[in-house]
Amino acid sequence: MMGQSGRERTAKAPARVAVTAAGIVSPLGFGSAETLESLRSARDCVTPVMRFSVAQCRCKTAGQIADARLLAGCSKTLRSGRLHRASHMMIHALEEVVMRQPAFEPELTVIGTTSGGMSYGERYYRALNRAGDLRHAPTWIANYPAQKPVLDALAAFGISTPCRVIANACASGTNAIGHAFECVRSGSYQRVLAGGYDALAEMVFVGFDSLQASTPEKCRPFDRHRSGMVLGEGAAVLALENLDLARGRGAPVLAEIIGYGISTDNFHITQPEPSGIGARQAMEMALQTAHVSAADVDYINAHGTATVFNDAAEGKAISALFNGVPVSSTKSMMGHSLGAAGAIEAVVCLLALQHQFLPASINFTTPDDDLALTIVANEPRPAVVSTALSNSFGFGGTNASILMRKFEA
Amino acid sequence: MSLAIAGIGWVTPLGTGIDSVWERLLNGEEASATTISEDFAERVYTVFRVPELAMKGLAHPRLRRASAISRFAAAAGLHALESAGLKLDTQTAERIALIFAISNGGVIYTKRFYREIVSTGAHTASPLLFPETVFNAPASHVAAILGVTGASYTLVGDGAVGIAAINMANELMKNEALDYCLIVGTEEIDWLLCDAYRRWRLLRMAPPIEPYSNQNRGMILSEGAGAVLLARNGVVSIEHAHPGGYFSKRTKAAKILKSILRDLCQTEIDLVISSANGTFIDGAESQALREFIPNALVYTVKPALGESVGAAGLWQVIAAAQALCSAEIPPVLHADSSVSLRLSRSRTPISNAQRAIVLSCGLNQQVAGLRLAIR
Repeated sequence: MMGQSGRERTAKAPARVAVTAAGIVSPLGFGSAETLESLRSARDCVTPVMRFSVAQCRCKTAGQIADARLLAGCSKTLRSGRLHRASHMMIHALEEVVMRQPAFEPELTVIGTTSGGMSYGERYYRALNRAGDLRHAPTWIANYPAQKPVLDALAAFGISTPCRVIANACASGTNAIGHAFECVRSGSYQRVLAGGYDALAEMVFVGFDSLQASTPEKCRPFDRHRSGMVLGEGAAVLALENLDLARGRGAPVLAEIIGYGISTDNFHITQPEPSGIGARQAMEMALQTAHVSAADVDYINAHGTATVFNDAAEGKAISALFNGVPVSSTKSMMGHSLGAAGAIEAVVCLLALQHQFLPASINFTTPDDDLALTIVANEPRPAVVSTALSNSFGFGGTNASILMRKFEA
Repeated sequence: MSLAIAGIGWVTPLGTGIDSVWERLLNGEEASATTISEDFAERVYTVFRVPELAMKGLAHPRLRRASAISRFAAAAGLHALESAGLKLDTQTAERIALIFAISNGGVIYTKRFYREIVSTGAHTASPLLFPETVFNAPASHVAAILGVTGASYTLVGDGAVGIAAINMANELMKNEALDYCLIVGTEEIDWLLCDAYRRWRLLRMAPPIEPYSNQNRGMILSEGAGAVLLARNGVVSIEHAHPGGYFSKRTKAAKILKSILRDLCQTEIDLVISSANGTFIDGAESQALREFIPNALVYTVKPALGESVGAAGLWQVIAAAQALCSAEIPPVLHADSSVSLRLSRSRTPISNAQRAIVLSCGLNQQVAGLRLAIR
């Protein structure tokens, strides 16, 4: 028996998995309330990049979090001046969870990221390469490891759980939530923190620009004239808990996570399999895990990066599986926050379920005749939303989908 | 659920191949150190590298432009499948999950890509290099080579990440649609890493790595990969895995190590494969081991193979499995005679050994451990 410190239970029906709290910081705002307000007003939060020079890049914009507010909120006892911006993002997101659910005692933390503390790695390399000032090098190096922002956030709130950091490129956040869901569903753990983070970094920005995956124009997911993505940043954390235990202690259940699918399509390291088979397999697996049919899904928060190839493959997969389900990509409002995206978009789905509306894809002008999709274009709208699907797909052909359901007591 | 080791693959500075590397370790051999330099810096570092000859014969279209880290991973993964006698077809590949354990990732290509940005500007950045900088690039290549279409995860952490990956495998294998989980720990060396670890005061400028010394003179970085194919049956089982934890300060590492050992020592332990590497880790592990299992035989592979960070935990698991199966343990190299632990001082028979603990204390705050048993 491979034990987990007594956490494993004898074989039983899979546990139901509740989301009992969520925390978020993104270009849409700090906290769930500001995020909801931005979603409801379909706010375009993509702005010119000032953090580093983009003069030689095609793309000049990104969804960004202002440092003035991000860095101001942290306690001095955390030596906040030395922490990476990503640590501050994780601390802000986790703080919202802790404030809403102070009695939530996680046993495990699973967080996704794509680039970790890359911007400190960049500073270090630049200083070395240009014989610059290396006095702060130990701080840069100490904050480079991908697990550091997670451990900083846990330490800030006295949480001592082990953590797993998943780096499955842009699917990381959804993979983290999906894996956490499996851990609670199997009964191995009763309470798990899950989410994702990523902070804007020059190297990653230039990388997507070099691939011509990012756009000098507006981000227009699923639009006929889509021309690429814009990057974003942020963090989101969800408290996942055995539903029965959560109800037993009187915790509010914001929603249930009911399904998770993961697939690998092996087509190309940066491009999805054109037929969308990998995306389709992930979505099908999420539906199968949840024992629901495609007809039960009311809203899909698509990966929707607005690149020609991603949207074509995802669009084909969605239209093959679902018949007219409303689809939007909220990346149009805040950019693609890579490893954080799946976690941020899970919170978007949570808000859609709680407040019964469909978030919009903004900048949408012209439907793509090759994609049979029902896009929630430009304006959010009220709707009955009982079940929502969130997709994330990444480099390396990794695909992940989670399915969430409104909780009915 | 019961998990067992069905296959093993090992790519190390002492070469590749389980039997060959193990025999060399038993004979007290250590890897040859080489130097590594950087064109914009004068300082030269000493490292343990995988010999070029060891990687000869590994060819696949996905590896044409891949970095060393992906090549090591592919070689170790394929060896693990081969040692399990597993022939891969579409059906088998669908029943394998893949978990990668990585710390620094594809640092060679990351540096090359960023160097272009710094030196000549963003407009010259290579779209061919960028995808190889992503943490999950090695997993992507290995998934494509093996034809894995299901779950593939890349876990990032420090030296303890390999054990975290085994813990994760335990979760994945609860899905009866899976027969196997291939776990690959992999790392490559670059001058930049050496410089970073030196600035952290964790690196020694030249061998040897002196484990359990009070001086903490530092470690030497190495590279390579370790792969373990987990199944539900096998001679060596993973009897218990602790979920791990983290320490906020180095001085607190011993405390979390003790809590892990307390959990793992519920039964008689014959052997401990420690992660001692000549740094602060050694003292913390010594303290915990002396308190909980002072009589267990202790071995660390790092003086012979170096500190391979993301691959290190898997190397420890492989060493533990090999020790239990071969009923021998290699000598701990370069340990002072005054070390108070019961170290393996020479090639030592352990014919009655039934259980081994693998204790992984990382350099960046993470700690994990597990217990293996031979059936």
